[in-house]
Amino acid sequence: MGTTYDQLRVLYRTLLVFATVGVVILVIGIIQFAYFEPFGQTSGAKATIEGVYVYDSETGQIEGPDSSEFPRSVEFAAKVDWSSLPANITVDARWYDSFGTLRGQVGPGTPPELADKSIVPVLVPEGYHYVLPGRYTFVVERFNHDVPVEVLGRRFVRVDRS
Amino acid sequence: MSVPAAANPQSRLRPGRYRIAFALATLIVVALMVSSILNYVYLDTIPGRTSLYGLLAVVLIAFGTFILVRAYSRDPAMRRKNLIRASVLIGFGVLLWLLVIDVFLFTQSAGPVVAAVCALACLPTTAFALIVVRRLDRNHKEPWRLVLVAAAWGAIVATSLVVWGETIWEASAQHALVPGPGLDTSLAFMAGILEELSKGLAVLLLFLVMRNEFDDVVDGIVYGAAVGLGFNYLESISYMTNIYAIFAPEGFGGVAAGIQWYARQVLGLFFGHATYTAFIGAGVGIARQLPNMRQKILAIVGGFVVAIAGHFAWDAWAALFPIDTTIFVIAEIHLRTLILEGPFTAALIALLIFGIRYEGQNLLDQLRKEAATGQGAILPEEVPILASPWQRLKQRLQALRRQGFRAYFKISRLQTAQLDLAMERWHRERKEIDTPLEAEQQLRERVIRLRHWVPA
Repeated sequence: MGTTYDQLRVLYRTLLVFATVGVVILVIGIIQFAYFEPFGQTSGAKATIEGVYVYDSETGQIEGPDSSEFPRSVEFAAKVDWSSLPANITVDARWYDSFGTLRGQVGPGTPPELADKSIVPVLVPEGYHYVLPGRYTFVVERFNHDVPVEVLGRRFVRVDRS
Repeated sequence: MSVPAAANPQSRLRPGRYRIAFALATLIVVALMVSSILNYVYLDTIPGRTSLYGLLAVVLIAFGTFILVRAYSRDPAMRRKNLIRASVLIGFGVLLWLLVIDVFLFTQSAGPVVAAVCALACLPTTAFALIVVRRLDRNHKEPWRLVLVAAAWGAIVATSLVVWGETIWEASAQHALVPGPGLDTSLAFMAGILEELSKGLAVLLLFLVMRNEFDDVVDGIVYGAAVGLGFNYLESISYMTNIYAIFAPEGFGGVAAGIQWYARQVLGLFFGHATYTAFIGAGVGIARQLPNMRQKILAIVGGFVVAIAGHFAWDAWAALFPIDTTIFVIAEIHLRTLILEGPFTAALIALLIFGIRYEGQNLLDQLRKEAATGQGAILPEEVPILASPWQRLKQRLQALRRQGFRAYFKISRLQTAQLDLAMERWHRERKEIDTPLEAEQQLRERVIRLRHWVPA
């Protein structure tokens, strides 16, 4: 009995050692989260996203009404009013697809530097005919020490499969 | 050594366990109801409808499973009635569920043919994994009915439970956090915590309701892995159909779905969900044999922590592993799995090997003690055979050669009954059983009856 109980204790303690390693992993995860999503990063600034429109990649112009849903055969772009932001902050604008992959970017730079880049198109992946379907996220971000720390404006767009 | 004294013949633990199990089951059903309503109100129309219409299926399967598990308790009078009730409930539930899932969800994205092909493609690999996992317990294999119940819970109930939680977490995170590593880390926490909790609930319920079939750490690993494999089965189908629908217009939907199949049903079959949930099972299995409540709780929490950490580590850090587009990409993908998930699987295998050895030594001890009683259920010359899986197989094969399959199966049933008796003795000696002493005597009589049927 004594021997078998000791064996069970070995199993129990081994599991607790593994659990301790698990706790360390989760703590690293929390630190990682806190680094990329630091607390207290609210500047009060709000970016004005004028809308998301059909985009003509040949002319580089937008057309039609503001929309949140597009067929996959259509290219689209967001329009940002950079003048709505303070001039002394570093910002950029990005498109992410539903896999979290970057699909278009303007910046980083100060709003005056980006003034002539108000149209931010979604890029068709290299070698593909159309953009991938799914949910796209457009964000205008504020940077601090080269790390994006705050979202100043956000839009979601759905690209249909058909 | 005589028959050990009844350790706890009038235990008051059993009703308590059932109350906890009932409370957990009620919690699950309530969560699913809330989930359905939330999904219907806040989600897109199709998943919302799926969730709402699927609710009835989930409730039917949950109660059917409960009755099925109860049907295999040692009450033969109620067994037949419970089996019929469970079959009807589960049958209706499965039909409804398949209808809802296939028609509304998968076929919506990729069509019914693709959904059926994906489901069929995942079936042989998952079945193979379940066979391997069940065979891990070399001394005392788990009954197929419970292994399959565990896998079904992982596939149907656990996946349903996480839908609402993950949707709310994901939507909140996407509205509040900066896209990139911070958001990815948050989503990794989401998957680790919610998916492991929902899978772990199935293992915990199995332990609470069916403790007689939940002997030790090895059983816990087997049931946990089965839940994980069930979850992985449905998740694989979901990812494959979704990826197919995304890439089909570009002309390589089949290839994309095939890569998903390989990643989830071949490369990650034993590494991912199976390993994580097996850790939860290991914790519950160890807790089952520990003497005091504090240690039991620590063991169960420990299992959950390892599972959540392993799942989190993969989701959060897999993208950091460099995968380029050269010819080495295949090697890199395999290496990534090995480096990130391999240590968890290796740690689990260590627990398993130690658990099998611990179980084997104790069964041998009990076989010897039972043989020494001279009651005839286990003969002294049978002890070395029963203690060795290879010797047992050799004995069955000899019977097969001499007298065919009937003899093989009769010997197999006799060996199983003898090991059941040894296991019962072990738990009784350790005071971790609450069936009355008569149950042990019934096992002994069953062995003797079977021995009469077995050809010499």
